Amino acid sequence: MKYSSGNNFHGGIHCSDGTDKELSSKEPILFYNPRTVEISMRQSAGSNCQAVVNIGDRVVKGQLIGTPARFGAANIHASISGKVQDIVTAKDPQDNDTTYVVIEADTPENGMEIERIQNTDDYHKGFADISSFSREEIIASMKEGGLIGMGGAGFPTHIKYETTNKIDCVLINAAECEPYLTCDHRLMLEYGYDILNGIRLFIKASGAEKAILCLEDNKRDAAKHLNSLLFQSELPIEVKLLRTRYPQGGERQLIEAVTGQEVPTGKLPADVGVIVNNVGTAKALADVMFTQTPLISRCITVTGKVRKPLNFFVPIGTRFTELIELAGGFTAVYSRVIVGGPMTGTGILFGGGVSDLEGSVTKTSSGLLVLEDQAITETPCIRCGQCERICPAGLAPFKIDFACINEDYTLCEKLYATECISCGSCSYVCPAKRELAHRTTRAKIEVLKLRMERRKKQNG
Amino acid sequence: MGKKAAELMHGIRPHIRAVRTTKAIMSDVVIALIPALIGSIYYFGIGSLILTLTSVTTCVLSEYIWQRLRKEPIRVGDFSAVVTGILLAFNFPVTTPLWIVWIASVFSIIVVKQIFGGIGNNFANPALMGRAIVMLLWPGSIAQYVSANNAGTDAVSSATVLSMLKSGQENIGYSHLDMFLGNIPGALGETSKLLLLIGFFYLCYRQVVHFWAAITYIVTVVAITFVFGGNGWFTGDVLTNLLGGGLILGACYMITDYPSVAPRVKVMIAILAGIVTASIRIWGTLPEGVCFGILTGNCLSGLVEWMIQPHIYGVDRKKSNNNL
Repeated sequence: MKYSSGNNFHGGIHCSDGTDKELSSKEPILFYNPRTVEISMRQSAGSNCQAVVNIGDRVVKGQLIGTPARFGAANIHASISGKVQDIVTAKDPQDNDTTYVVIEADTPENGMEIERIQNTDDYHKGFADISSFSREEIIASMKEGGLIGMGGAGFPTHIKYETTNKIDCVLINAAECEPYLTCDHRLMLEYGYDILNGIRLFIKASGAEKAILCLEDNKRDAAKHLNSLLFQSELPIEVKLLRTRYPQGGERQLIEAVTGQEVPTGKLPADVGVIVNNVGTAKALADVMFTQTPLISRCITVTGKVRKPLNFFVPIGTRFTELIELAGGFTAVYSRVIVGGPMTGTGILFGGGVSDLEGSVTKTSSGLLVLEDQAITETPCIRCGQCERICPAGLAPFKIDFACINEDYTLCEKLYATECISCGSCSYVCPAKRELAHRTTRAKIEVLKLRMERRKKQNG
Repeated sequence: MGKKAAELMHGIRPHIRAVRTTKAIMSDVVIALIPALIGSIYYFGIGSLILTLTSVTTCVLSEYIWQRLRKEPIRVGDFSAVVTGILLAFNFPVTTPLWIVWIASVFSIIVVKQIFGGIGNNFANPALMGRAIVMLLWPGSIAQYVSANNAGTDAVSSATVLSMLKSGQENIGYSHLDMFLGNIPGALGETSKLLLLIGFFYLCYRQVVHFWAAITYIVTVVAITFVFGGNGWFTGDVLTNLLGGGLILGACYMITDYPSVAPRVKVMIAILAGIVTASIRIWGTLPEGVCFGILTGNCLSGLVEWMIQPHIYGVDRKKSNNNL
């Protein structure tokens, strides 16, 4: 059995009727400057950084304040100019100890204000000249500028490009398959040239022949807009519409849908000649190369049960409380606040008011979503097989669920729990409301532990 | 699971869930079976309603009492016992004594379903197991088929279409239209193919059942009986085999039933069940083979599931020695 190729990936769900995105898809991106930012030294899972500033230091916008403490992390820069008020260690939503650098603005132009962003640079208005940049320069700038994947996983971009494999094609991920999120959609509509210039730099950095910008067919207006910009430019960039289906924007699913190839387990996309980057990262790269501004701000959708759903362009470290207040506050009775999309995002508040909200914008927060907090009761599996039918990895989540409850992790391994991509589709469809994705992800972690122990035993 | 984990069980991603629940699926099946139930009342009189209600109440009560006594969570509200009850009643002719129905219901629910762990853990379709046990223990009690519209106290028992076909009777006496509409002797639910199909299409529309499994099962049975079932090759009576017995009921509501079969192997199971059913019809002693055909399919599903392994993204099974 081979997966069908051609605009398709295996499994997947249709988890949205489109109305969720309409909440904010017509809202232009607003620019907001907070007085205080709390910059996390842990911008994505497992990417700890070391703070290189001290309390009382004055930092300027774009100054390096954190350096990678381990593989998988990237530089962190000050997102506003001001004084380092405090460096605190606190628990982040995933229950990890995280250091926060708190910076308070001291320049008069910063303050509580919302305005439309005015960008007058060349690369914002047309195709800029990139002939002066070499491949090495671009990759070095990615590293210096602290570029990481802005779709959610947050893998440092420069590591992807330091591959020795031959890259045929760069895929630009603009699927935005998560319901509710619209920040990538708005970026494409308002920053078309920035993104296309960024993609040209990606092509140059990878040595690929072409780039394919992939979006779901619920964003036809964005595809049309980008095509009109590309018209007669003879650039090797193709805009490709894919059907709206979750998890279309999963890296491996996107590769399967567009190229018909599967990335073998344990390998990277580069091993099949593909690099996948988020559309937001393309814009960030253009900013880094043309204005020497590192990645210090990002677009975030504030939506769901708030009075006025909006898209913001904010400095990294902007407090979530301020964003919720700008969006008019909660309208849910018991609010559940989620960072990211509803499928893979992390819940950070379950009931309570705006003032109870902690945390701040990181390079990977694509959305701040408020939903009604509802309890879910699990009932026995009826073996309808829905989870198996829709699993993009081809697993049988209900079997892994049983094995995980019985703590039989050897069986979990035989059921390939390690191949789970944690997309959450199984839990979504389950009529018995079982926490399939949760247990499969746990099984995955346990199996990896098991394998590590086994390797240790073999070695000594 | 520790207290900490139990606390964390709230607010697990994904934060949105599909609307459909187990209860909704089971209610859909009940709704789909109602036209056929009304049809059986029309053809066999109020006795069919009494029989069905007896079966449903016994099923629900025995599940409730079992769960109460075992101090398990009470789950009768999910309607699955109601579905079993209706399907079980549909397998019996209207003349079946009520004590047989009681025994079959209790057996279906307690022995086939609850002892194996309740909903989702039964190895075979409970209703069919109920019918099978009665067929084996008291075969005479459920063989009193009566003609439709003739179910009074003085009803004359008559053979089913399939048993007439089996005994080589030339003139069956019922047209294929009669068979399709249900105007023939038979069990409650298997007579009116029209009403069963209406319910089946409703289930397909609601995406509750696996359409291709049902079609495969029907095609397999019909094809084999056509090839081998007549006096020479390729002379079998296709329409009578299709419409005469419980084939449509089994295909639409039982082969598609969930227990033990993953969708990936459902079609394969349907073929196996079809082969067994057709073989019983042609070479076996029983005129009908749907019950044992599907039960065989249910029991073989684990084996087939093991034989047809799914493709896992990025995994080459030939190279990995991780197979189950």
